[in-house]
Amino acid sequence: MTDVVTLAHGAGGKQTSELIEKVFKKHFQNDFFTADDASVLPRPAGKIAMTTDGFIVSPQFFPGGNIGKLSICGTVNDLSCMGAKPLYMTCAFQIEEGFPIDQLEEIVSSMEKTAAEVGVKLVAGDTKVAGRGQVDHIFITTTGVGEILEGVDTSGAYARPGDAIIVTGDVGRHGATILLSRDEYGIEADVTTDCAPLWNPVEAVLRAVPEVHVIRDATRGGVGTVLYEIAHESNVGIQLNSEDIPVDPGVRGVCGMLGLEPLYLACEGRLVMFVPEEKADQVIEILKGQKYTEGAAIIGHVTEDMAGHVVMTTEIGAQTLLPEPGNELLPRIC
Amino acid sequence: MADTVTKEDTLAKARRILKDYDGPKVRIMEVCGTHTHEIFRQGVRRILSPKIEMISGPGCPVCVTDVTFIDEAISLALDHGCTITTFGDLVRVPGTKKSLQIARGEGAKVKVVYTPLDAVEYAKEHSEEQVVFLAVGFETTTPSECLAVENAIKDGLINLSLLTANKTMPAAYEAMKDATDLYLYPGHVHAITGNKICEDLLAEGVSGVVGGFTGKEILTALAVGVTEFQKGKPFFKNCYPRVVTGEGSPQAMALVNKMMEPCDQIWRGIGLLKNSGMKLREEYGAYDARRKFDLSGIVGKQNPACRCGQVLQGELKPNQCPCFGTACTPEHPVGACMVSSEGACSAWYLYGDLATKPLEDK
Amino acid sequence: MCVGLSAKVVSLKDGMAIVDASGAKRSVSAQLLSDLNPGDYVMVHAGTAIAKITDNDTDETDNLLEEL
Repeated sequence: MTDVVTLAHGAGGKQTSELIEKVFKKHFQNDFFTADDASVLPRPAGKIAMTTDGFIVSPQFFPGGNIGKLSICGTVNDLSCMGAKPLYMTCAFQIEEGFPIDQLEEIVSSMEKTAAEVGVKLVAGDTKVAGRGQVDHIFITTTGVGEILEGVDTSGAYARPGDAIIVTGDVGRHGATILLSRDEYGIEADVTTDCAPLWNPVEAVLRAVPEVHVIRDATRGGVGTVLYEIAHESNVGIQLNSEDIPVDPGVRGVCGMLGLEPLYLACEGRLVMFVPEEKADQVIEILKGQKYTEGAAIIGHVTEDMAGHVVMTTEIGAQTLLPEPGNELLPRIC
Repeated sequence: MADTVTKEDTLAKARRILKDYDGPKVRIMEVCGTHTHEIFRQGVRRILSPKIEMISGPGCPVCVTDVTFIDEAISLALDHGCTITTFGDLVRVPGTKKSLQIARGEGAKVKVVYTPLDAVEYAKEHSEEQVVFLAVGFETTTPSECLAVENAIKDGLINLSLLTANKTMPAAYEAMKDATDLYLYPGHVHAITGNKICEDLLAEGVSGVVGGFTGKEILTALAVGVTEFQKGKPFFKNCYPRVVTGEGSPQAMALVNKMMEPCDQIWRGIGLLKNSGMKLREEYGAYDARRKFDLSGIVGKQNPACRCGQVLQGELKPNQCPCFGTACTPEHPVGACMVSSEGACSAWYLYGDLATKPLEDK
Repeated sequence: MCVGLSAKVVSLKDGMAIVDASGAKRSVSAQLLSDLNPGDYVMVHAGTAIAKITDNDTDETDNLLEEL
């Protein structure tokens, strides 16, 4: 086999089979992975949740992860937010010709490992190869199906006054990691992505506290964007305490240099949960005992007034609005 | 732990002074965009006594950058094929017809850098490109831009130049002094210039405090300011001595004076202020984009509906401008004050009137 | 126009300083400051160290308010 992906690998003939055999099949082995046109799956007992997401990231490899890991985590976490145990996933690759096969294999291998952590099975895939310049190295789209735990009913519209707001770890690390990986601003910091599959901690929480109101993963736009989404969808106010928001010192340093706000930087392994106040301590305790959510913290609570707004108690003890996120994040230097 | 206790004590005391202030009504103008930004972000206005009014002055270099300057930059990119290097905030500032961001979509090469020194590195690595750095800023930033030219000369680069719109603060202090009772002077400008300007203004009866930029530093400077103000005599106090010394940075000033000379400068919304800008001296003409490329005949036209000028001078509140929040939003800014996160209109839009309304503590 | 960041000087070479702001490191120009040493704190603006910092903000604000 050649050591880069060529247009022939996408043509459907012998080379395509070879790529599937040597790269994809090797890593996506399970009873349901199919050579037929569609995989045939047993029907779960409960309600199902289904979601899809496309992944484009530059660079494709970054400290703590790569686009493959990201593509599994993104879909696993979307399902988890609905209280759905991830069962099956499909993935579609668009690869630029000339992409090194060993890198493709590394990506696929992280997908295998990440999927195994939560027991989700990759049951079908597709590969297309595009000419040079038509794709930025590699794009991945994943689709997932999960089974919703009995008695669980979460939605962005279910936040209620009094709810405690929990974030499952420090914020903004993925965004800061990607920013540094692009090396546009000459800054170095020991920051790695927070990218992680979060079904296991979510399951632990929901089995003990099924009455969680809202779970949402903070991806693009960061935790700040999620808070505004929930404030609008549930028509409630949100009160944050700036000192309680966990931020890695390195991320804080990077943000300080570039004039950015950590609450608006992307995460890929952080959930925001809205839980009834009396259950908050129990949820925190469970999260702290789980891998990937050891740094969970209560950052605020839901209020009846100020519907649609996020109000923050600042370092000087004043109340101010957290500006609603928007626009391309440009470093604010002057 | 002991540290936390002192911190809270200091903060609490500053807050108490500002909340309980019951002296004569006082207007305080912050002249630095970063002060404006932090004052909004921290919610400073909400904890002030109704007798204290904060006014956002013209200290955001993005906001006072003239339309013509943006048009010139776009022409350099699109007509002259130059690579534009710039601070991030300038990218969205509207010119007569478009911003650099839109021009980028039309093929202009625009690169955001952290420092002008990175523009030098970029020029070194891309000797086939003509690289222009958009030199905006006040006394704090101008030395870095001069250093870029100095380093380019040292490296023998002939493909880097500055498009200058550098401005100096004293002209602004002079121009705005009737709109305020008390200046909150920007610490980082005075780290370079020293405090002689403030002493000179004091001699004219203009009061002020130099302040730092953290929430606590701002509150402290304001608390010192209103306490002194109440005594009824003009005063000046440096509340940021850990960074600002009386003499400033002689090295920075010598560098700037070696390479640059004063010039008249147009401030967006305010107009032409005599000797309020800096440009490269003739002997550095090879590094001056206006001398190197023909930009004559470019005269920008400001959208006539925009009231940025009056907002900058404290005559209008942002929400009193007819464009505010309708034609002009951070996503589609008409005026520069809406573009920069330091801009008064942008801050007002993002934080709403909640930013100014006093609110009881929870 | 003054986004400044206080950072600690880690090392110095050829007019440049590596500075550290709570773990984020960058090379900045040290050409405007003489007699800088590793361990000093500086105010960084737009990639240049513009001033040496001589005290911490807690002590400074405490002292200023003490006088009121």
